[in-house]
This record gives sequence, structure tokens and C-alpha cells, in this order.
Amino acid sequence: MARGTVIVGRRLLTILVFAIVATGPARAEPVTVENCGRSVTFERPPERAVSQDMNISEIMFALDLRSRMVGVTGITGWYKMTSAFRQAMGSLPELASKNPSVETLVAAGADFYFAGWYYGMQPGGAVTPESLATFGIATYVLSESCAHVGENAPTATMDLLYDDVLNIGRIFGRADRAAALVRSYRTRVDRVRDIIAGNRPPRVFVLDSGEEKPFTAGRAAMPTAIIAAAGGHNVLGDVAMSWGRIGWEAVIARDPEVVIIVGYQDDSWRDRWEFFRNHPALSGITAARRNRFVVLGYTELTPGPNNIPAIEKLARALHPERFP
Amino acid sequence: MNMGLGDRRTVPLPVLMVILLAVLVVSMAVSVGVGATSVPLDHVADIVWQHLGWGPLNSAATAAEERIVWHIRLPRTILAVVVGAGLALVGAALQAVTRNPLADPYLFGVSSGAAFGAVAVIVHVGAVLGAATLPLAAFAGAMVAMLLVVGVAGRQARVTSERLILSGVAVSFLFFAATNFLIFWGDQRAAHSVVFWSLGGLGGARWERIGIPIAVVAAGWAAMQVTARHLNALAAGDETAVGLGVSVDRMRLAIFMLAALVTGVLVAVSGAIGFVGLMIPHVARMAVGGDYRRVLPLSALIGAVFLVSVDVASRVLLAPQELPVGMLTAAIGGGFFIWLIRRAKP
Repeated sequence: MARGTVIVGRRLLTILVFAIVATGPARAEPVTVENCGRSVTFERPPERAVSQDMNISEIMFALDLRSRMVGVTGITGWYKMTSAFRQAMGSLPELASKNPSVETLVAAGADFYFAGWYYGMQPGGAVTPESLATFGIATYVLSESCAHVGENAPTATMDLLYDDVLNIGRIFGRADRAAALVRSYRTRVDRVRDIIAGNRPPRVFVLDSGEEKPFTAGRAAMPTAIIAAAGGHNVLGDVAMSWGRIGWEAVIARDPEVVIIVGYQDDSWRDRWEFFRNHPALSGITAARRNRFVVLGYTELTPGPNNIPAIEKLARALHPERFP
Repeated sequence: MNMGLGDRRTVPLPVLMVILLAVLVVSMAVSVGVGATSVPLDHVADIVWQHLGWGPLNSAATAAEERIVWHIRLPRTILAVVVGAGLALVGAALQAVTRNPLADPYLFGVSSGAAFGAVAVIVHVGAVLGAATLPLAAFAGAMVAMLLVVGVAGRQARVTSERLILSGVAVSFLFFAATNFLIFWGDQRAAHSVVFWSLGGLGGARWERIGIPIAVVAAGWAAMQVTARHLNALAAGDETAVGLGVSVDRMRLAIFMLAALVTGVLVAVSGAIGFVGLMIPHVARMAVGGDYRRVLPLSALIGAVFLVSVDVASRVLLAPQELPVGMLTAAIGGGFFIWLIRRAKP
């Protein structure tokens, strides 16, 4: 009885909060979001936010939140900067070229940190939601990265991106804008789905790096959702892991028809593809024989606005006959 | 140096060798037969026979199965045999010449030097020499580290085992610090690759890459076997060795160089797989006592069986994910030493 009341009460609260946020522009009413298994309440929209890494920062920029930010972290230290991103950053400083320390965030007067596990935060490390809370810095954890610390590794879907965009929108009092953005994402993804409807999903393998045991995307990593949305099938999408290492044997047995190579800001993908095509055991794989591969960039394969054009690009590569 | 086990023999060596050879053949068969994907055993046999020219031409095995068995599992199994045997041999020889039961192929900074060479190439140089760049860089790093160790230890006329071990530890720390700096400085690819160089793995095995390790380990084994009497003399003590007419310093240095060469080649193809060279000679001495004419061949066989078996476990435990093989050897090795310490009588 009591439990039922609580659930009803919580639902009511959620509806109420939603109604308040949805009805007007930025307000100072508290907002509570579910994030990585925690409920986080924001008394007022953050004014001095910091975001880690390109894909996460691009979510902030897509919601036009640059004016509410005091900096970004973790970009040039990984050789990831692009000219488009630098333009989007404008005058916003990069506070740390790799992972920030607590001191960096406190010194910047941050009140909000948007990051993720292994995107600026390490389990047991110095920078965690708990350690930042003691300095009055609230944290929102990238949903896809929660699989790194959770008990199980749920299959990635595009909702990982949509939920983060909607939650960030609510936290910053921009729920309308976030909802409109997610609607436009859904429209584009639905259009792809309609174009490729009825086609058999080709088998796809994600090759990040590694010659001895390749580093690839399992079922909880974003590429599984992106591949599915583009009408493909991640051959390792059944493996209960986020990103991880697997043996070549499993790749050969599952015979991918197309390989997605994770592209960095250099042409190292060429070497990796040459290695793949010339390896005696891999050269017989359908993708290698037909020389079918797609290079997708870091922000296209990690949760962020670039997932949507990536889905369109990948769908073209997987189903060329449907895109004359 | 036998941790109080004395110089007793329990089983005649030829019997032991035959039994171990049989165990090795069985473990190799298991290694070729199992993996992340299940290939029917009759297909496995067909594929192997066919490639050896004895088999049926109308096998039911698929092309993918053929690639898995012939191009992945078989070279990998053979590499496990070679690396396991080579590391155990080097460990045995080093434990003899340093009279230190904790001497190990990685003692003199070879693994940290190899990791440094490889990571430096990944971060700053790139594959200037094609596919062989990384193994060559790892080998070069291992050799530089070894020369440094010998250089530091050999500043005085006498190269004592204590000086070698201490300078090995010091050089290792320097290279680890430099490697960690490169990883900190570099990108995620450097961080990924260092797992391989520091924990090892046999997944890089290919037919064209296992010839050199086989030749180097075989030649190293032969050289050690020929000088086994001198190893015995050194293991008994420098004074005894001098009394028997062995040139102690020269012998120690020669074994040291040989060990570094073999280890450098093995590290270049399999990363740094720890504890094999440290643990296996102890097991061999438990079985046949302290005579290195017996300890060497036995160490080689036990090392081969051990690494083949552990590699199977690394592939099967979390399939299709692969565990770094050095993680498992370290776990088993640590447990073994705890057992050894507890059973040793005070």
C-alpha cells in the first residue's frame, strides 16, 4: 500500500515537473533527472558548466548552451580537435587538454560537469560525481558510459542519446528546444529506416585498434545502436561489454560484410585496413574480399549529435542501391 | 637455490620426458580444437591433415573454419610452445648463473625496454618499416635495456649476480617511467597497446612470424645444453666454478647476453608474459633436482605445456573476449609462490 503511494507520488511529481518545465522558458524550479541509476536534483539551471570530450560538448552546443559554459576539457590532449569543433567552441577555453583534476574544475568556478565513465572520470579516481559534489559541482554522467560501472551491459539504443539530450535540456531549462532537437533526430532516423525497409541487415564489424586482439564495440557501446539504426547488424552486438577486446577467431566466424574503422584525426585508418585485408586469416572475410569499409570519426561513433549524420552515412554504405 | 628441496630425483628423466611430450601433444590438440567459436573436431582434423598433404580433399569444413584453424589457432599454439619453452629455459639459465631463485627473463629490463620501444614508435614515429616496425622497435628497446644493465653492472672488473640484479631492477624502473610518460603524453592507442606489451598475448601469431622465434629458441637451448656443466658449476658457487676451471665472469655475461637475445625476440612477438621463466624452473628442479643437464629440457617441456594450457584458458574463459595471457600466468605464478613459501620448512 505504502509502496504504491510512493510510486504514484513519484509519478505525480515527475508529471508535475515535466509539466512545469514543458510549459515555459528557463525557471528556477528544481528539476530531478534519473542518471546512471541515481536521481539528481537541480535547484536551478547551471550557469557555469564544463563538458568533457568532443561528443559530449557537442550535445551542449546543439542545445545552444555555450553561454552557460565556462570551458571544455579533454580534447586536444587526445589529438581530437577539428576545425568545426573549434568554431563551435568560439572563445570558450579548454581548461585541461586531457582529464581535468578536481582543482581545475573548482578553479574555473564550475557548477556543473557533463562527463562520463572513461570520458573524464575513472571509477575510483579523483574526479567522480561524489568528489565533485563536495565542491558544489553537480555531475551528469553520459548514459552510454554507465555500462562501464553497472552490473549488466544493456544493449545500446538511440534512446541513450535522446535521453541525454532531453535530460540536459530539462536541467538547463531548455526542455522545449531539446524535445524539438530529439524530434528532428527521430525524423531523420525514421527516414533512413523507411528507405532501407525490407533490406536484409548486413553484418558489420567495428575496428578501433589492435592487431593482436582487436578493440571493438560490444552490445552496450553506441556503435551497436548506430549500426542497427542504419539497417545493419553488429556481429559482436551480442557480447556483454561496452568497448573491449575480442579474439580474431570470433570475427572470422561471424564473417562481417562491412567494416567500420574508427577514424582519428590522421590517416592511421589506412594502415589498419591494410593490416586487416592482408592478414592471412582475415583476408578471406567477406568485407576484406569485397574491400567494403566505412571510416567513421570519433564523434560519429560516441554518443552525440554526430550520430545522426553517421547513421545516414552508414546506411548509404550498407544499402547503396537504396540511395541512388 | 632449490628452496631447500635438495638434490633428489623422484622419477627417471626419460620417463618424465615421454609423459610430458604426450601431455604436450594432447594440450596442443586441445588448443587447436577449442576457441571462441566451435569448430567440429572432425573438421579440425580434416583441415590439419589436408594442409599437411595427407588428408581428404572433399572435407566438410568451411573456408572460415579453415582460416580459423590453420591461420589462427595452429600458429598460435606453436608460438605458445616456443614462447613457453624459451622463457622457461632462459629463466632456468639465469637462476643458475645468478644463484637467485627469483631471477627471471624480465629481470634485466627487457620487457620494460620492449614496451618503451613499441610505445615510442606508436606515439612518435609511426610504422616507418611496415608491419615489422613494432616487433623491431620492441626488440631494439629490449636490447638497449639489456646493454644498459650490463653496462651499469659491469663498471667494475667483477660482474657479480647482485650487481646484475640490482641494475636490472633500476633500468626496469627507468624504462617503465619513460613508457608511462609516453602513454600519458600520447593518445588512447598508446594506452591500449601497452596492455599488450606489459601483459602479453599470443593472438599476433602468424606463420611468417614464428620462424625466427623457433630458430632463436632452438639455438639458445642448444647453447645452454652444451654449457650445462658450466651452469652447474656456477650454480654451486663462484669459488667452486673457478676451482673447476670455469671463467665465471665471462660465462655469466655470455648467458646474460644469450638470455637477453632470446627474451627480446620472444617479447617482440608475444609481449611480456611474466612468471613462466620464474616459476617453471622451480617445478623442474622439484622433479629432477639441481642438475641443469636435466633441468633445461624438463623446463622447456613444462613451460611449453603450461603456456599452451594458459593460452587456451585466456581464449575460452570469457569468449569471445580475450584475456591478456600474462594476467593469468601472473595469477597462477603468484599462487604457486605462496604455496612454495608455505611448504618450505624453516
